[in-house]
This record gives sequence, structure tokens and C-alpha cells, in this order.
Amino acid sequence: MTYLKRLPRFEYLGPQSLAEVCGMIAGTSRDEVMLLAGGTDAILQMRRRERVPRRVIGLKGVAELDFVREQADGGLAIGAMTTLRTLLASPVVGRRYDLLRETAAQIGGNELRNVATVGGNIAGALPCADMSPALMTLGARIRLSSGRGDRWLPLEEFFPEFGRTVAADDEVLAEISLPPPASGGAGTYLKFHDRHSMDMTVVGVSAYVVRDERSRTFGDLRLAYANGAPTVFRAKRAEAVLRGRALTEEGLEEAAETACAESSPRTSWRANGEYRLELIRALTKSAIRQAWEKASSRQEARP
Amino acid sequence: MMNRDSQREFQVLGKPTPKKDAPQKAAGRAEFADDISMPGMLHGKLLRSPHPHARIVAIDASLALALPGVRAVITGRDFPGVRYGNLPQTRDYLPLAIDTVRYIGEEVAAVAAVDEDTAEEALDLIRVEYEVLPAVFDPEEAMKQGAPQLHGQSPGNVSAHTESHFGDVEAAFAQADYVREDVFETQPVKQGMLEPHACVGLWDGFGKATLWSCKMSPYAVWRQLAMGLDIKPGDIRVVQTYVGGGFSGGKQEAMPMDFCALMLSKKTGRPVKLVHTMEEVLIIGHMRHPMKIWLRTGTTKDGRILAQHVKLLANGGAYSSIGGFSIFLAGAMINLPYRVPNMKFEADRVYTNNGFCGALRGHTVVQMCFARDSQLEKIAEDLAIDPLEIRRRNAIQDGDVTANGFRINTFAFDECITRVAEMSGWYNKKGKLPKYRGIGFGCGAHLSGARLMGHSASTAEMRMLEDGTVHLTTGSTDVGQGVETVMSMIAAEVLGVTVDDVHYLKVDSAATPLDPGTFGSRVTLFTGNAVKQAAEDICRQLAEVAGERMGVDPRDLMFFRHEIINRKDEKQRCSLKEIVRWGMFQQGRIFSGRGSYGYSEEKIDFRTGHGNLSPAYNPTACAVEVEVDPETGRVTVVGLWGADDSGTPLNPLAVKGQVIGAAVMSIGHALYENLIRVDGKVMNPSLRDYKMPQATDLPKLADFKHSNVITWEPEGPFGAKEAGQGAGTGVIAALANAVYDATGVRLTSLPMTPEHILFGMKRLQAQNRGQ
Ligand SMILES: Cc1cc2nc3c(=O)[nH]c(=O)nc-3n(C[C@H](O)[C@H](O)[C@H](O)COP(=O)(O)OP(=O)(O)OC[C@H]3O[C@@H](n4cnc5c(N)ncnc54)[C@H](O)[C@@H]3O)c2cc1C
Repeated sequence: MTYLKRLPRFEYLGPQSLAEVCGMIAGTSRDEVMLLAGGTDAILQMRRRERVPRRVIGLKGVAELDFVREQADGGLAIGAMTTLRTLLASPVVGRRYDLLRETAAQIGGNELRNVATVGGNIAGALPCADMSPALMTLGARIRLSSGRGDRWLPLEEFFPEFGRTVAADDEVLAEISLPPPASGGAGTYLKFHDRHSMDMTVVGVSAYVVRDERSRTFGDLRLAYANGAPTVFRAKRAEAVLRGRALTEEGLEEAAETACAESSPRTSWRANGEYRLELIRALTKSAIRQAWEKASSRQEARP
Repeated sequence: MMNRDSQREFQVLGKPTPKKDAPQKAAGRAEFADDISMPGMLHGKLLRSPHPHARIVAIDASLALALPGVRAVITGRDFPGVRYGNLPQTRDYLPLAIDTVRYIGEEVAAVAAVDEDTAEEALDLIRVEYEVLPAVFDPEEAMKQGAPQLHGQSPGNVSAHTESHFGDVEAAFAQADYVREDVFETQPVKQGMLEPHACVGLWDGFGKATLWSCKMSPYAVWRQLAMGLDIKPGDIRVVQTYVGGGFSGGKQEAMPMDFCALMLSKKTGRPVKLVHTMEEVLIIGHMRHPMKIWLRTGTTKDGRILAQHVKLLANGGAYSSIGGFSIFLAGAMINLPYRVPNMKFEADRVYTNNGFCGALRGHTVVQMCFARDSQLEKIAEDLAIDPLEIRRRNAIQDGDVTANGFRINTFAFDECITRVAEMSGWYNKKGKLPKYRGIGFGCGAHLSGARLMGHSASTAEMRMLEDGTVHLTTGSTDVGQGVETVMSMIAAEVLGVTVDDVHYLKVDSAATPLDPGTFGSRVTLFTGNAVKQAAEDICRQLAEVAGERMGVDPRDLMFFRHEIINRKDEKQRCSLKEIVRWGMFQQGRIFSGRGSYGYSEEKIDFRTGHGNLSPAYNPTACAVEVEVDPETGRVTVVGLWGADDSGTPLNPLAVKGQVIGAAVMSIGHALYENLIRVDGKVMNPSLRDYKMPQATDLPKLADFKHSNVITWEPEGPFGAKEAGQGAGTGVIAALANAVYDATGVRLTSLPMTPEHILFGMKRLQAQNRGQ
């Protein structure tokens, strides 16, 4: 880590459309060009000289990347340049995807949420990013655009290793799309950090439960973790433990143990891996239970 | 001697009074150093060492100088090479390193350029050839034979050593029914002021140098600048700007940036501004000393302290700052707030290749109180004595003389304990709270300004204007704590005018009287007494004129609501303004008052530690209630109740702000803050990652109660004592005791992280299962 310096010299480009962005990055490499969304990470990376691009492409002017839209199928489409503030203010998010609202509200403070974008949070590929686990458990797919066209892939396949994505150098993250919320589904994101607010995540757990009303069992369960491993990831074996079972203490224990076995948290000056594992164990249980309770109370509240 | 009964009804004092500068600050009109702009002003930047310990072989600045916009580059060789510092025996600073750097972040060169960006760009072009030397970061390692040596004149890297012994500790331990030993450790903590250090220097072509800066103690800076620049103090002028928080540290001393602003100005003939980034603030020195405290205490069966023996090792970092006094103070304060008839103290402050340490609100009292009050709680438990009772049994009382010679006038410690017990509902809570909820008690004490070997007297001057308002000057600065307001209140009280009739001017070494400035909780008592005297001086002068005009004995006159009144016949009165104008216009008088407070009739013996360090001492007690999450170990502070004997609170609103602020800082110290360093490199140099508490980390205001136990301190102006530091001293132990009450986990090292608490709980569970 180097201490902060002034910004390096670069050429700044301000495209107005996605097509223009794609044109600008076609045939370039990550070393040459950097995309700038809210800049809350990107600026620091440049000031620490972790990245010294020749060109910076600001996405602020690309209006077509800034939207939150209900889809015909009842799903949700979120433009990569949507700020956390916009996401929080969006009525449809509040109404139908409260897991997203809950998560975004826990990121940084107001000043940060006013500029930080959903796309930047994901594309930064940091293991501590909070939006990614929540979006993964909601079954998010992402659209990558380039001069060659668009391709869609599940968010959980986006992070091959620490700090990297599978996007090619000429691809932009354009959109995140969510399927309609499952009936009987509810989720929660538990984020642990030292301070009570405005703090980076030590461990974050997103749990999304689809409760089968008739059998009172887990119809589906999805778990994803921030800082549980070098990348945000889904703990699929832990999910499988509870599917088809009712909520029991033993079941929760078993799922939590399995999630720990699937995790490989690192030790850093921020926290020891050993402690992160304890958090994964504890938060997995609480998150599943809370999501389950949310799902149950919604089902009961229905006429 | 005045006492409570002879206390008259106050006109101005004692009423909650908002800070006078609040409107300016709220409106963004207060001019801080960084707001200063002068014609032709250049911007400076500092090049810092990337190595924790290295010899500077060569510096080549030619490329930097060739960069368009760069006006000057200076290195240590541009200064006379005179070391400066606080205490004569530990002068080890240089304005810029000359041949050796001793910590990552140490200043090596400085650039002035037309703007900040160009100056910073130039830094990258300065070629420094280093010969990297072995470094040492841990004080115990640093003391070992063969360890890298930081300063030639300090063998074993001991930057300061202090010892004291009162009574007979060995004999007392032999007699004790109960003896225990514990070791406590504390972490590096930063001041955390929101305004980074900033200054503008101007060295005119005629040998006069002026520095505008946010200094708490402008006169200390003035003297240090003269030392390091090797010029006459009279050729230097230090002008104080608004200060956006200080909490000691760099705002109390001359820093490399200050020297460089002046030297760069000398080279360029232009004013030069330097402003630290928050990152620089966090990586450079100036922080609370991390300490290892070994504490042995012997008591009787009923918990009366017979003896305490303390060995202290402080990780001082690369330079001394005020460190020699820091460890001295830690030892002296073992004598408060409990009676310790026999005490022995041995302390070393050790140089290491880290950012250096010095003073920070509560200084070293905070660490000592954490250790002592944590241990006292264990003693109470072992001896099955109520934790409040053991404190009462040992509490210092009015009139005591401590083993080291502190003479205690007022010390309402018992009452502080009683109030906290009431406010917190202690007896309904202790041992009765639900699982994972706990309450803890902690106490401490402070002094109202220390008498030091060098400069400790305060002075004030006051000049009457023709409209009956006054200009008041002292050497003490308002750093946000409300000095401007309380000094104005004292003057207004004496003169019978309103607070707004007193103009409290900022310190300017060319105009204001000599005074050491703001530190060590000295201002209200020391400077306050000087202000009171200065106001009385003016009243005497006015009474003379008024007496003559009214045909009354001047001694019978009193000053009340802008009038001068004959005490014996209150119908005889005339307006203050009339007398002022008569005296000025007709008699050519200058109404100008002077006051001083020295309190130096007796000397402290800094070798033995004996002597009455301060005019007044104040106790504090507090209770903290916490809730611990058993799954994660995270602590939530749900309530804090404190009581302090600050004498007679002159401005209760400011006192409240101060005691709550001090408590909050201690919560940060106890639970969150830690300057994390790996091989001397600060890992968390931002306020995102250096975690000061935020509003959400604190109890709601409704559960954050404070009570003033009012005493009339004879040494204080109008009975006042300090309020800014004492209130923080008991909080950390109270928190540790509360966490113990909630979980059974006893933490002896800071900060008390969720990780430590959780693993502590797991160890306890494993032990219980094993039994
Ligand atoms: C004080 C502070 C607190 C923070 N707290 C949190 C927190 O609580 N939780 C958390 O998760 N994060 C936190 N962060 C980190 C960061 O702010 C967030 O991750 C934020 O969402 C990043 O979004 P951005 O728009 O600022 O991205 P930027 O900084 O602009 O970009 C981040 C990275 O993504 C790339 N990128 C951006 N957009 C695209 C795109 N459309 N396609 C491809 N690549 C792209 C950029 O090139 C860059 O590498 C915090 C940061 C700060 C400074």
C-alpha cells in the first residue's frame, strides 16, 4: 500500500452513450483505460498508484446506464450507473426488493451513497463489497456490453479471483437484472463491522429464503458472503443442507458449519481469519433465521 | 479565603452561555489557517521518508527545481542544524531530517510551487538516496543489547526515564493482607481533531518572520521556531488563527511544516502555505503513548490500599516531543484519586522507529486510570467488597496531602461516587442485569494546569474602549473548548458588563501578553485568575475616577450592569460609559488592566517527583452500561453517567460539552481507535479506517448524564477547576469493568475489540465445560 498522492495525469473522456463508451474501450487494455463511475474507489486506486491509466472514461454522462425499471415479467432492471441513493429512493425497490434497500442503506454514509454506484460496487470485484452478496442471492444476472455486442451471465460467475472479473478489457458492466421475487421469498443482509455505522464490512452474509407454505420447509435457500473468501461467493453446499427441511436449531448449525467449511476468509490488519469464521458461523444462522421469519410473517399477513 | 458562603450572586458566571464564536463558525465565516490567501502566495508540500530507519546519502532536487511552477526546494541543510524540542534535556527534533530518518513519514524535503498540485508533482522528482538501516518497532526489543540505536545520545534507546518512591513500598507489601499484580497494555491513539494542521509563513526581506497558524500554544511555537531557525525570538511573530480542535499534539509545538513555510518564504520572498492532508495527520507523530503498565498493589483485608508499585514502558516513537513529562505525569497521578501511602514508580520511555508520541487530552492519566481502576475492581471482587465501597474506603478527601506532596484543597470524590450510583441506578443494576448486559464503574482525577520547570505563569491584559467595552488579550487560545467565552464571562463579571462587551482577541506574539497557552487544563484556572485580576485592575482605575467625580471613597464602589454604584448608598450611581469617557477625554487616562497568575512559590522536584504539581485537583467517577452481542462480541454502550467536581462551573454549558466530549474520546480509545502499524507503516491512515466513534456508537443523549458536584476551589477564579480532561479518565476502566460484568471476560489490553471479547467468552465457555 502506498500513501495517497495527487491524481496521476490522464486524459479524461466524457461519453454520452453506451455505444460511445464501447467504442472508446475497444482494443484497449485495463492498464491504459479506466472506467470511472462514482469514483469512491477508483479515485483512491489512482491516488495510491494502484492504477495509473492513460485515459479515464467518466460514465456520469451516460444517462442510459442510470435507471431502475420494473420489467414486464415482474423482475427488476438496474442500470450500472444507478447510485445507491437512487436505489434507496426507488419505490419498486422499497416495495418488492427490501433486501436491496436494506443492503444499500448499510453502505457508507449519505455522502458516499449519493455518488457510489451499484455498478462500481460490483465491478470493483472487492470481497468486501456489500451489494454483490445481496444481488447474488436474489439471482442477479448481469449484462456486459462491448463493441462486439452484449452477453448475459449470472453474477455469481463474475468473480474468478480476488479483485478480478471475467469481463474482457473491452466490456462494460451495463445492467443488473433480477427475476421477480419468489412467492414466499424474503431475504436479509447482515453486515458486521466494528463501528455501529459507516464502516467497512468485516463479514457480510446475505440469506434469501423461499418458504414453502404448505410443508413449512425451506423451498429454497441462497447464501452469499462478503469477505468470506477472496471473492464474494455463494455457499451452495450450505444452501443444500436446509432445502426441503423445516427450520431447526440443528439444521441451522449444520448449515453454518457447512458455510464455514466452504469459506476461506483471510487474515488482514482489519481482522483475523479465525474471527471472520466465527462471524460467518454466527451471522449465517441469524441471517437465515431472520429471512425465514420475514418470509413467514409475510405469508401470514396475506389474506 | 473565599468560601461557598461568601460567594456572591453572579451577574454573568454560572449561567449556561453559548460560545461566542458559534455564529461565525456556523456561518462558515471563521477564518482558519487554510482559508488565508495572500497575494503571490505559494503552496508547499513535504517529502516524507518511505523508510522507518535510514541514512540519507544524497538528495538531488535538480529535476524538481526544473519543473515549471516550482519556486524552491529545501532540505535539512537549509536550516542551521539546531535541534529543538520541549524539554531542554530531550531536544531531538530538526525542522527537516539532515542525515537520518527515523520513521516512515518523517519530513525530508519541502517544495514551494505556484499551486499544490505542482508542489506535489515536484516531490516525485526529488531523488533521495537512502541507506536503509535496521529498524526496531517494539520498545522491549529496542532496549535489548544489539538493538538498532535511534539517537546517539540515548543508549539503550531510552528517551526518558523517571522514578519516584514515597513511603516504603517493600515494607508495606510485607504487611499487606492481599497483593496482586497485573499487566495492562494500551494502543496508539490519535488526537482526531477535524482541522488538519495548517500554516502560512512570510519571511519579509528585512529579517522578520511571521507565521499564521492554528496553534493552541503560540508562545511555545514561537520559542521553538526561534530555536530551530537559530534567530532571535523578537524577529519572529506567531499569529493564531481559529483552531479547529486541538487535543494537544502538533498544534502545541512547532512542526516541520511551520519551519518549512518560513524557510520556503525566505527563499522565495513570497508567503507560503502548507496544509496537511488528513492522511498526513494520521501518519506523522503526535499521538497518545502506547504503554505496558505493570501494576502491583497491596491492600489490607478490608481493601485499603497500602502500597502500589508501577513499572511503565512507553513506546515513544522516533522523537521525544513532551514525552519526558508524559511519563512523569503518569507516575504523579498514581497519587489520585485514591490514598496511596506508599508508592513506587519506575518508567522508561523508549525510542522506536514509529511515529512519535506526546500529549493528547487526558495525557497519560487515561492509561494509568484504565490500569488502576480495572485492577481495583478485581481486588474488590477477590476481597468480596462492593466496588463502590472499596473506592470510598480509599478516596482522597479535602485537605489531604498525598504521598508525593499534592496539597488537596477541594476534592468531592465521595459525592461524585454517590451521584453516579444514583444516576445510573447502580444498586438496582449491578449483578441484576440480564445476561450479556453489564455495568461498570471507573474513577479518575486530573489537575488544573501543571507547574512546569519552564514557563508556567499566565498573564492577561485588558484595555477599555471609549464605549465601555474592553479588549481582552491573554496567551491562551480557544480551541473549541470555549476559552473565549469563559474568559469574557470572567471579565464581564468583574466589570459589570455583558459577555458581548468583552472582545477576546486571538494570540499574536507581537501584541498579546506572554502566556504558555492552552494545554494541561490550565486555562480556566491560570489564565482565568489572570483575567480576573486584570479586570479588577481596570475597576480600580475606574473607581478612582468615579470616586472623585461622585465624591465617594473608591473602595465603596461596585460595578453592576454597566453602572458604577456606591455600595453604601445605591442611589448614588453613574454609568460606566460616562466615567470611561470622562477619564479618557478629560484626564487623558488609559484604562488598561493587567493580571497574572504564577503559582510558583514552591518548586516541584522533578528528580524525586515530590511537590504540589497543580493548584487544584479534581476527581471524577462514572458508570457505563453495556450490552455485548454474544455471537459477535460487539459492545454497545447503552448508558454513561458521570459526575465531576469541576469546582464551580463558570459556564455550565461549556462544562457539559467538555465532560461529554472527554467521555466520548475515551469510549473511542476503549473500543474503536487504534493506529495500526505494521513494521512502522500506518495501515489505516484515513478516518474511514482509523475508527473514531460516531453518534451511532454512543449512548443516546437521554442515557448520557452528567452531574457537576459543585465545590468552591479557593485557588480557582470564582471557585472553578478544570473540566476538559478529568471526565475522560475513568471511562475506559468503567467500560472494561462493564464488559467483565456482562461477559466474565477481563480485558487488559486496548482497544477492547469484538474479537478479543468473543474469543474471551469462548475460552470461558471451554473452561466451564472442562470443569
Ligand atoms: C468512506 C467509504 C466508505 C465505504 N463504505 C463501503 C461500504 O460500506 N460497503 C461497500 O461495499 N463499499 C464501501 N466503500 C467502497 C465503495 O465506495 C463502493 O464499493 C462503491 O459502491 C463503489 O462504487 P463507485 O461508483 O464509486 O465505483 P468507482 O470507484 O467509480 O469504480 C470502482 C471500480 O469499478 C470499475 N467500474 C465502475 N463502473 C464500472 C462499469 N460500469 N463497468 C465496469 N467497470 C466499472 C472502476 O473502473 C473501478 O475499478 C466505501 C468507500 C469509502 C471511500
